[in-house]
Amino acid sequence: MPAALSLQAVRVVYGDRVALNGVSLDVDRGELVGLLGPNGSGKSTTLAVAAGLLDPLEGVVTVAGLQRRDDPHGFASRVGLVPQSCALYDELTATSNLTFFGQLYGLSGCNLRKRVGRALGRAGLADRAGHRVGTLSGGMKQRVNLAAALLHDPPVLLLDEPTAALDPTSREEWLADLARLRDDGHAVLFSTHHLDEADRGCDRIAVLDRGELVAVGPPAEVFGCRPGGRIVLYGHLRGKLPRFLERSLRQRFGPDVEIDATGGRLRLSALTSEELGRALALVLAEGVPLDAFHTPAGTLARVLHQVVG
Amino acid sequence: MTCPRRLRLILALAGKDWQLFWADRRAAALGFLVPIVLASVFGLIFGRPTEEKTAVRLPVAVVVEDDGPFTRQVADDLLASLRIEGVEVSRAEAETRVADRRPAVAIVFPRGFERLKDWKPGGSEDRPAVEIFHHPTTQPERQWAEGVLTETVMQRLAQNAFSGLLSSPNGFAAPFRIEAATVPGLSHAHFNAYTHSFCGMTLQYLLFWGMESGLLFLRERQQGIWSRVRAAPVPLAAVLLGKALTTAGVALLMVLVTFGFGRLVFGVTVTGSVMGFVALVCAASGLAAATGLLVAAVGGTEARARSVSILVILGVSMLGGLWLPAFLLPGWVRDLACALPTTWAMRGLDGVTWQGRGFVESLPNVMVVGGFAAAFLAIAVVGLMIDEGRRRRGNCPR
Repeated sequence: MPAALSLQAVRVVYGDRVALNGVSLDVDRGELVGLLGPNGSGKSTTLAVAAGLLDPLEGVVTVAGLQRRDDPHGFASRVGLVPQSCALYDELTATSNLTFFGQLYGLSGCNLRKRVGRALGRAGLADRAGHRVGTLSGGMKQRVNLAAALLHDPPVLLLDEPTAALDPTSREEWLADLARLRDDGHAVLFSTHHLDEADRGCDRIAVLDRGELVAVGPPAEVFGCRPGGRIVLYGHLRGKLPRFLERSLRQRFGPDVEIDATGGRLRLSALTSEELGRALALVLAEGVPLDAFHTPAGTLARVLHQVVG
Repeated sequence: MTCPRRLRLILALAGKDWQLFWADRRAAALGFLVPIVLASVFGLIFGRPTEEKTAVRLPVAVVVEDDGPFTRQVADDLLASLRIEGVEVSRAEAETRVADRRPAVAIVFPRGFERLKDWKPGGSEDRPAVEIFHHPTTQPERQWAEGVLTETVMQRLAQNAFSGLLSSPNGFAAPFRIEAATVPGLSHAHFNAYTHSFCGMTLQYLLFWGMESGLLFLRERQQGIWSRVRAAPVPLAAVLLGKALTTAGVALLMVLVTFGFGRLVFGVTVTGSVMGFVALVCAASGLAAATGLLVAAVGGTEARARSVSILVILGVSMLGGLWLPAFLLPGWVRDLACALPTTWAMRGLDGVTWQGRGFVESLPNVMVVGGFAAAFLAIAVVGLMIDEGRRRRGNCPR
């Protein structure tokens, strides 16, 4: 039985720049695969090729054994795509958006209405069905965005950095949604540059670097080779980080503990988990408003460094 | 893909664009209001009354420097003429006013004009002068004033010469009658000065609406939503036809609303073939839709497409006679304008609205406008398909 999604020796070139070079990857039904890589590594291009938006210069892409050039309709009908930016019409209501995208996949009448209603219910947006998408929150928009890709019940689901614009709480919900979709039998391939997301939810991880697939395997296998360096904790700041906190941490822990805040994102790292726990306790004791925090399995740069050498 | 499925797809795409058009109701309302305002203003500015009693009169300053009774009589006749709106002033004031174009022409009867009263036919020696001041930009008005002056003086001379022979209380009258008639076409009973402006401004706005639709399409292609549409099992041709269908539909509605307003408020009517009018409007709406896709196909970026499109639309509108009647343009420009769809659309609409032309007479215009629309559509579809192919091959960096 062919893989739900199969990329074999795919090569894509933009002008004189090689975007993908001999990428081969299979995703089966009931499997959740995370596509990891830094910016410009070829994640979006991989998803565009898998969705049939790009024809590879070399290589073969099949969905359930079908090639796009042989059966474009059959190929497209088996794929659901969630683009990186919210691919919905802000001016239309959630219902109108879903109805339109359902129509594009040949749904109509009672069947379409039922599916739209069910999708909105599943997304927890039944009471917002008549609201314009432009008036919904970022998290709600992304849920409608996902619902639009699922209306025609595709075996293959492709998501391009779906959690990029979400707060930690919404990200957790999203990862749970993806796991549920995997359990429902979808083949899910999603791109991210958050290592923790890939580590916690994925069955397999594919690491891309400069257009080449440098590692594929279960998270433990890929991250198992991570260096035994610092342990990192990420959190979402609801306010500003007090300036004195960094000084306090340095006085108490020396260079073993590092704290860094970029935008609303807090990064706390230490050499041991005990030190990290104590540092976190100090941060919370100073009343720093943190929404959620979690420890990733390592940093993407380190994993890449380890894998690529 | 089966034909009914393809049709359903096109209708779904068109329906989505229709919903998007109405989503911003104020913008949609402006889309209908702007051509109405433009047509009304152009009609008001360039409209000319056709009734004699309300005919346009030329403002003229009259200076009388001779004290003689004959000169006074001629000046009074001139001031009472229905062809001018005369006001008597001094020479100095006349010079000041003419320099300021208030009015642009002045007629001066200098000292010595009185001796003209003894003039006899054939006696050409020592003719008194009449001075005419005029602004450098008002040559036609000067000629107009000269004509009225000559008529007035000759009437007064003839009246004096033949006064013994005449007993009519109406005084001297020309030995013939002038029967003037406008010749707008088979019927001129419904001629309305606003008709031309409503035809012209509506056509121009249809092109602008087409451009706007094309720019929206360009914008949509830059967004993630385009990826989702292109990833769906939808042929590009269906996407383009859906877009064209909505653009043409909205254009038709714009014509309906604009002409409906013109009919109710300014009495704009279709005196010729209604079928011809409908056919021309459909062809012009198709032209608007095709123009939109052409803008999207060859425009490049949105900003570049907007600038070039505005220039082109204003150019073809002016040359096609959408602003002012084409006969005001030089002959070579009129010949050149035959290569523009706007010229054919405008002539066709003029023909069926106020010139009373029939369906068969309007057919050549319908066919030429429809031909232009089909050609634009073909170029746009081919261009966009080539572009899509390039994108699929990765020639357009994402």
